[in-house]
Amino acid sequence: MGELEQAVLEVLWGLDAPASGREVHERLSGRDLAYTTVMTVLDRLARKDVVVREREGRAFRYAPRLTRAAMTAELMHEALGGTDTDREQALVSFVGEASAEDLAALRRALDELA
Amino acid sequence: MATTLVLGALAVVLAGPFPWGLSRWRGLRRTPAAAMLLWQSTALAAVLAALGAGLSLATERLWEPPVTAVDVVVAGLAGAVTLVVLARLAVSGHRTGTALRRMRRVHRERVDLVAEVDRGVSVLEHELPVAYCVPGMTGARIVVSRSTLTTLAPAELGAVLEHERSHLRARHDLVLEAFAVLHRAFPRWVASAAARREVEVLVEVLADRAACRAGDRRALASALLALAGSPAPAGSLGSSGSSLAARVEVLRDTRPRPVQAAGVALLAAAILALPTLLVVLPWLAGLR
Repeated sequence: MGELEQAVLEVLWGLDAPASGREVHERLSGRDLAYTTVMTVLDRLARKDVVVREREGRAFRYAPRLTRAAMTAELMHEALGGTDTDREQALVSFVGEASAEDLAALRRALDELA
Repeated sequence: MATTLVLGALAVVLAGPFPWGLSRWRGLRRTPAAAMLLWQSTALAAVLAALGAGLSLATERLWEPPVTAVDVVVAGLAGAVTLVVLARLAVSGHRTGTALRRMRRVHRERVDLVAEVDRGVSVLEHELPVAYCVPGMTGARIVVSRSTLTTLAPAELGAVLEHERSHLRARHDLVLEAFAVLHRAFPRWVASAAARREVEVLVEVLADRAACRAGDRRALASALLALAGSPAPAGSLGSSGSSLAARVEVLRDTRPRPVQAAGVALLAAAILALPTLLVVLPWLAGLR
């Protein structure tokens, strides 16, 4: 399912305007997917708040909430912590903020180990 | 009365002065595994002693006739305090657990959508170097940015990945979570903040040690320098600077200290076992 979600999102990222489920399905025609499967995936992406949908007549049109770059930036921002200690704990970073003294001590240690 | 006093005194010491003293003992980090045991047994023993003190006060007032009105009031108060302690722990545990799991799930879902998976590692297309893991029962992830892959030498990258894998293998997130729960439940009057900070340093030291066992110390140190030295966007930094200093200090000298390790582990066991043997068992036996 994850790979399919990625493919559907990929399609939406490649379009300039919000697309209907039918349009997304057409663009994935090489994959031999049922239309309902594509709709299920779009629903899931909307529930994950990755895709926004707007009503147009009796159907929905779907668009990514963020560009790929913006979504990556959002993840990076979360990974780099911020002031939220809970968020800091949710993701365990290899190394956090470093002061000038920390870096100096690290360089000295590195010289010793050489 | 003696039981209550001993347990009460023990709870006070284990919740305040003892962890406070432990957090000043820098050398303790040189035996990180034993130190981790000691912190956990101290926290558990403090909670158990506090609960035990409340319960024993309540029972000794009610078990021995004649039971006066004063006895009933005292027992009621002791029981109420015990319940408050339990309730605070339960609420804090629930809140912390749900918040963490939700944040991790939402983050992981989006990582899976934008990251490219390369040999089991999720790679984010970004020019700032980062490396972190998203812990979880199912579907933990190790995430790095493209720039980490291009900046680090193979040995350095190996050390970073081994560090993160060790976090996930040893479920360090659960230890961190437990101490976060304690700190949230009892943010003041007890040394819960010091305990949490120290345990945060210890999991990093333990993961560093694991990385050193798999590779060499130099690679880990230079990876730390490469990733810590990178400029991060303004206002988006965490506050683990002091933790880095502590890690470097431990990294410089990794000689084994078997005597200290054994002593600390023994102390950890004693803190949990002694109160149980000396106080709680006789008290339970006396209730019959």
